[in-house]
Amino acid sequence: MASSKKLISREEWEKRLNNVKIRKEDMNKLVMNFLVTEGNVEAAKKFRMESGTHPDIDLATITDRMAVKKAAQCGNVKDAIEKINDLNPEILDTNPQLFFQLQQQRLIELIRNGKVEAALEFAQEELAPRAEENQSFLEELERTISLVAFEDTSNCPVGELLDISQRLKTASEVNAAVLTSQSNEKDPKLPSLLKMLIWAQNKLDKKAAYPCINDLSNARLEDPTF
Amino acid sequence: MPSATVNKPRPSELLSRLTSAEPEVKVRALREVKNQIIGNRTKKLSFLKLGAVPAVAGILADSIDDVTDNNNCNNDSNNAINILVQSAAALGSFACGFDAGVQAVLDAGAFPNLLRLLANPNEKVVDAVARALRMIYQSKLAPKYDFLQQKNMEFLISLLNSEKENVSGLGASIITRSCETNLEQKALFDAGILRKLNSLLEGGSLSQRDASLESLATIFRNNPEVISKFAGPEIGRPLSSIIDLAKDRYPRTRLLACMCLIVIRNASPHFLQDIGIKTKLIHILLELLDDPGQVGDEAPFAFSSLIAQKEDLQKLALEANAIDKLHHHIKKGSLHPRRYEGILLALADMYSKLESCRSKFLSLQVLNLLADALTDYNAGVRAAACICLKSVTRSIKNLSAGYFMNETIVIPLVQLFLDPSTSVQVAALGATSNIVVDFTTRKSIFVQCGGMKQLVQLAKSMESSVRSNALWALKNFVFQADNRLKEGVFSELTASLLSSLIRDPEPSVQEQALALVRNLVDGCINLIEFVFAEDGLILGAIGRQLQCASTAEIGIQGMYALCNVASGNEFHKEAVMQLLFTQMGDKNQSFVIKFLQSNDSRLCTATVWTIVNLTCPSSPGAPGRLEKLRNAGIVSQIKNMVNDPCVDVKLRVRTVLGQSMAFGDN
Repeated sequence: MASSKKLISREEWEKRLNNVKIRKEDMNKLVMNFLVTEGNVEAAKKFRMESGTHPDIDLATITDRMAVKKAAQCGNVKDAIEKINDLNPEILDTNPQLFFQLQQQRLIELIRNGKVEAALEFAQEELAPRAEENQSFLEELERTISLVAFEDTSNCPVGELLDISQRLKTASEVNAAVLTSQSNEKDPKLPSLLKMLIWAQNKLDKKAAYPCINDLSNARLEDPTF
Repeated sequence: MPSATVNKPRPSELLSRLTSAEPEVKVRALREVKNQIIGNRTKKLSFLKLGAVPAVAGILADSIDDVTDNNNCNNDSNNAINILVQSAAALGSFACGFDAGVQAVLDAGAFPNLLRLLANPNEKVVDAVARALRMIYQSKLAPKYDFLQQKNMEFLISLLNSEKENVSGLGASIITRSCETNLEQKALFDAGILRKLNSLLEGGSLSQRDASLESLATIFRNNPEVISKFAGPEIGRPLSSIIDLAKDRYPRTRLLACMCLIVIRNASPHFLQDIGIKTKLIHILLELLDDPGQVGDEAPFAFSSLIAQKEDLQKLALEANAIDKLHHHIKKGSLHPRRYEGILLALADMYSKLESCRSKFLSLQVLNLLADALTDYNAGVRAAACICLKSVTRSIKNLSAGYFMNETIVIPLVQLFLDPSTSVQVAALGATSNIVVDFTTRKSIFVQCGGMKQLVQLAKSMESSVRSNALWALKNFVFQADNRLKEGVFSELTASLLSSLIRDPEPSVQEQALALVRNLVDGCINLIEFVFAEDGLILGAIGRQLQCASTAEIGIQGMYALCNVASGNEFHKEAVMQLLFTQMGDKNQSFVIKFLQSNDSRLCTATVWTIVNLTCPSSPGAPGRLEKLRNAGIVSQIKNMVNDPCVDVKLRVRTVLGQSMAFGDN
């Protein structure tokens, strides 16, 4: 069965690649965009100094946002809430989903630290009223509270709530909310480019055999195979 | 720093700290109040009840002159700035999405102070104040802004020109909330506001674009003149920026852009009428239904405003699988009540005119879903379910099949007759009116479920809309029903109730009561006895009401009722004659002549029909009656109508004349 796919050798491919010109400024912008969106302020400042690339947003606003994100990542949720409210009181007032998630994280931290009584009081006073208004909040609250019932939380069905990844998820949602409120795009451009690459390769796979990139982290060209 | 511990001061303790003489204590207390109430409606309410709003408003008022220039960096001025910022933020949060809070802030007299503070030299203060004012203007309770005063218009322009997002956003919010009349819309246009808003659309930030879209929609609403001036000489260009935003990456922007385009479409027949834009709008709105947040809640309402009353759009939406998509969302369950209500109303619009849409309802087997919605805890959802049911039961094919007359639907529907909300009652009655037009022999199910008795009870309601809708449902119920059912209805109603309803103060009630009589006596000669019960109470009421009929519809239904009575035996026909002529003594002219001369051809037709029945040759008394009619000038009036443009009138007139000639008339 002969393949109807076209074969492109490595030399030919590399020759074609060399003909495509990419500007250094564009690449610098992508890097800067990535650093800024992820909130790596110091790196962004250094990069600005060394490459002369200007960030699209004011680096000072990044500092505020990063303080919020960091507080959330460390589990200092009350602090994170106060910082967001100083930055923009509207964010939590108009985003019940995010607010609930933060309060839920507070509850998780209380349980993690063994403060069961305080946790139950907190749940009753702060979270129960929210859960009354919303079915999915109620379900989440019940899941979280059930942590209290388990002695061995590492094996219980809701144990993932205690995982550090839960904190990071919350922190990332908070970061996105602040970015959006500052009218900035919450997603960096770099991942989109990589996704585009993978999509394009998938499309091309149907028509040709060519040196493709399988490992995005090193972007090495691998020889074409039939 | 240690993680979340929960020792915080009691609210009353916090409030007493607000009165502290020390600025730092005050600032901390204000910040704490703010942090406790943000996002927390329950806390807002409890602080409200403790009098927090007047306390904070008082602090704002006292500090209003404390920050006079931007250059002082000492501790005192920092505290002064913080006091203003935190108190404004707290007031803003009380007002955010919480009407009781807005009212409290207004009652505490904070509004004028907040306005003054917009001119404060410190940026942070202005930002916080502008945000608080924006929250107030998002509420219906916001004070009305008088655009027609020159000073006010200038102030508004200065707000829109500001570089600060919150301040220009405030300007847009004021327009969106307060602009109501065509005069105000024109004043805003003349002041160049539209151009400013358009520039915010093209060059502004996300929130500025969204705010502009809302304001533009408000200015365009029902105002084709302003729309054509805006889209004006550069036809297509300003509109194209709005069209582009309908494809924006942010869902809220897409929704607001669609809503703006829909306002333009609905107000002006010249713009956005091509099939391309219609299809695009439908697709975008259907896709927005998938948004999990507020945007998805509001999307179905926008969809309704696009398709309501418009068959062409309903067809396009049907082809785009709108009904499947809407059903899919309902099936998912646990919907926010607003979203549920919106989707049901959108479905109601889809089913309102096209049988092809209604047949989808049946094939998708969603009757049970609708029955569930009828018992939802939210009144808006219940009402919407009824409206949806009313639309889908317009399908004559399925009424004939007896599809809807079953307990799954009838029992919850009848329960809604007793609903605490009047709008739910009226909506339930509307749906019932269709369902009871059941062409099979299953109407008795309705009686068994207690529906008929309930309807009669509702006919005695204090609310006139409930009375008239209950009568409407009864009218449809007895339409071509068998004698037994009709007798049941009549004995439940009683002659005295029915006659008093005929003489009800509300014209709509009178009309439905007369129509009910019409349907009751139609078909079988024995039923005509109803109108003679209790000394002819009902017949007398009909006569009196026809004498002073305030609308054509009342005349039409009353005459058809008489027409049906006149289709009976001699005694019945004579009774009708007596009615027609007794009234004549008081006036120069019988109401019969008045009706015959009416511009409304339906009224003429009904009246001529009655004469046809009175003079039909097979009854012995016909010649005598014809003589009386001739003497009263009625026959010659009818002769004048022999070439009436309306076919129905012409045919009946010729029947009368044909009949009169059978008695040797010229």
